[in-house]
Amino acid sequence: MLKVSNLVTEFASIKALNDISFQAKPGRITTVIGANGAGKSTLLRTISGLERPTSGSITWFDEELTDKSVEAIVRSGVAQVPEGHAVISQLSVAENIELGGLFRKRQARGDLEIATKDVYELFPILFERRREPAGSLSGGERQMLAISRALVARPKLLLLDEPSLGLAPLISAQIISIVDELCKSTGLTVLLVEQNANTALAVADHGILLALGKVVADLPAKELIADSALRAAYLGY
Amino acid sequence: MNSFLTAFFAGTSQGAIYALVSLGLVLVWRGAGVVNFAQMGQAMFTTYIASQLIQNEYSYWSAFVIALISGALLGALVDLGIMRPLSSRKNSLLLNSQSMRTTIPVIASLGILGVLKALAGIFWAGEERGFPAPVPTTGLRLGNTDLAITGFDLFVIGVVFLTLVLTTIFFTRTGMGLAMRASALNPEVTRLSGIRVGSVRTLSWAISGTASSLAGLLVTPKTNLSPNTLDLLLIVGFTAAVVGGLTSLAGSVLGGFILGYVIAFVNVYSAPENVFLAILIFLLLALFLRPQGILGSKEVRRV
Ligand SMILES: Nc1ncnc2c1ncn2[C@@H]1O[C@H](COP(=O)(O)OP(=O)(O)O)[C@@H](O)[C@H]1O
Ligand SMILES: [Mg+2]
Repeated sequence: MLKVSNLVTEFASIKALNDISFQAKPGRITTVIGANGAGKSTLLRTISGLERPTSGSITWFDEELTDKSVEAIVRSGVAQVPEGHAVISQLSVAENIELGGLFRKRQARGDLEIATKDVYELFPILFERRREPAGSLSGGERQMLAISRALVARPKLLLLDEPSLGLAPLISAQIISIVDELCKSTGLTVLLVEQNANTALAVADHGILLALGKVVADLPAKELIADSALRAAYLGY
Repeated sequence: MNSFLTAFFAGTSQGAIYALVSLGLVLVWRGAGVVNFAQMGQAMFTTYIASQLIQNEYSYWSAFVIALISGALLGALVDLGIMRPLSSRKNSLLLNSQSMRTTIPVIASLGILGVLKALAGIFWAGEERGFPAPVPTTGLRLGNTDLAITGFDLFVIGVVFLTLVLTTIFFTRTGMGLAMRASALNPEVTRLSGIRVGSVRTLSWAISGTASSLAGLLVTPKTNLSPNTLDLLLIVGFTAAVVGGLTSLAGSVLGGFILGYVIAFVNVYSAPENVFLAILIFLLLALFLRPQGILGSKEVRRV
């Protein structure tokens, strides 16, 4: 279980995260929603170690992640797909995927081959285009590649930062449903950040609503969908 | 032998050395974002080490290998001892602005250059001395005709060719090579892939140190060795790197050979004193006509 307690992350004088506490159940999708600037990306970046919290703690089962390096956190089974289809456009599709598993190439070569085969099965279009530079992919394909790069590390916790950003609704629905399948079939735990609350809440087990660095609602997804007053107040729709 | 071939062979063997220097500069620029002015100071220092070993009756080849290893260690030391501590001092007021963040390592590299020259002065009295070649530096003959190329030129071309082949294999066929390219292109995604970007950066410094150390060993049989001998090589190598687009390894190598030919042809068909002017004109032309480098395209740039 992911447990975030009293987390504070500051930039110069702004508290981007101001005393955040919540938990995410293993094997489920927990979604973090909130308006632009609410602190969603900062939350994921603090969990993955890219930002250092001023105070508070992050634990993954019994493991304290709070002061670990990014590299060590990845090695503990936590993978982040950062905002904005983060792939390396100058590298080929296959190289981007290889990169994700490079750190465990020596210990787990066999499993890495299986994991690579798995992501190509999940996203056959990436296999077809494996020799092309990632920069030549469409937005949706790039997001698939970013997710694949994270998956070949065989994470137990996947942090997804706005995977639907800038994608056509049909494509983002397809990507979200693949993540949902993965959760159900492999027991992967997902923390899904979205601005578009509806797609996220439809597949999530639980929802956290952030506003100005604070948790304003922490409810089962079904209740959050139903609470139109809350949504009107914080998301504007 | 006609003067065209003379210029061509001289250009090839000098160009091979410029290619190494240029490659070394680009490796550190891409990998660490630093223009390393100390690079040829490091090479000068390791060539002195080799020279000292040869004086102490070591064989040429053991001195050669030890100098290359020293080059790698010195490169890694510059990163671990100076560059990394400098860049990790995030709360220093001076380092907080972006322009200072990029300027300070460059100034530090100039400082390192000064220190290395001073140390060479202390250890080796700063005297100019010869440095041996492993094969004859006299012109080769084919039957009765003199060829405009020496055995040593062929040696230089062969060693550099081998180095470039090994470097290419390393970067395109190995996991560590992929990690190095990825770290240079996008450190954040690379860290999120579990790769220790800091160690990869130190490795770029070490490989760059080895390449420049090799350049020092290959150039000094012709130029002699003194604390200042290799300064010129840095300027030419830097020009080659810029001509190659600064971020492309293949471009940096190509830039090195092009500079080699430009200098050799100016030397043969014009006069040696025009070489600097030619380098300058060439650099300006390259910057105006192809600011993205000879191999660079505007957006996608590979290897
Ligand atoms: N690197 C940074 N430096 C300074 N302020 C930042 C930085 N990253 C985020 N912020 C600020 O923190 C707040 C939360 O940003 P972010 O986490 O990106 O929000 P969201 O992802 O919910 O849109 C915003 O006010 C933003 O301006
Ligand atoms: Mg965001």
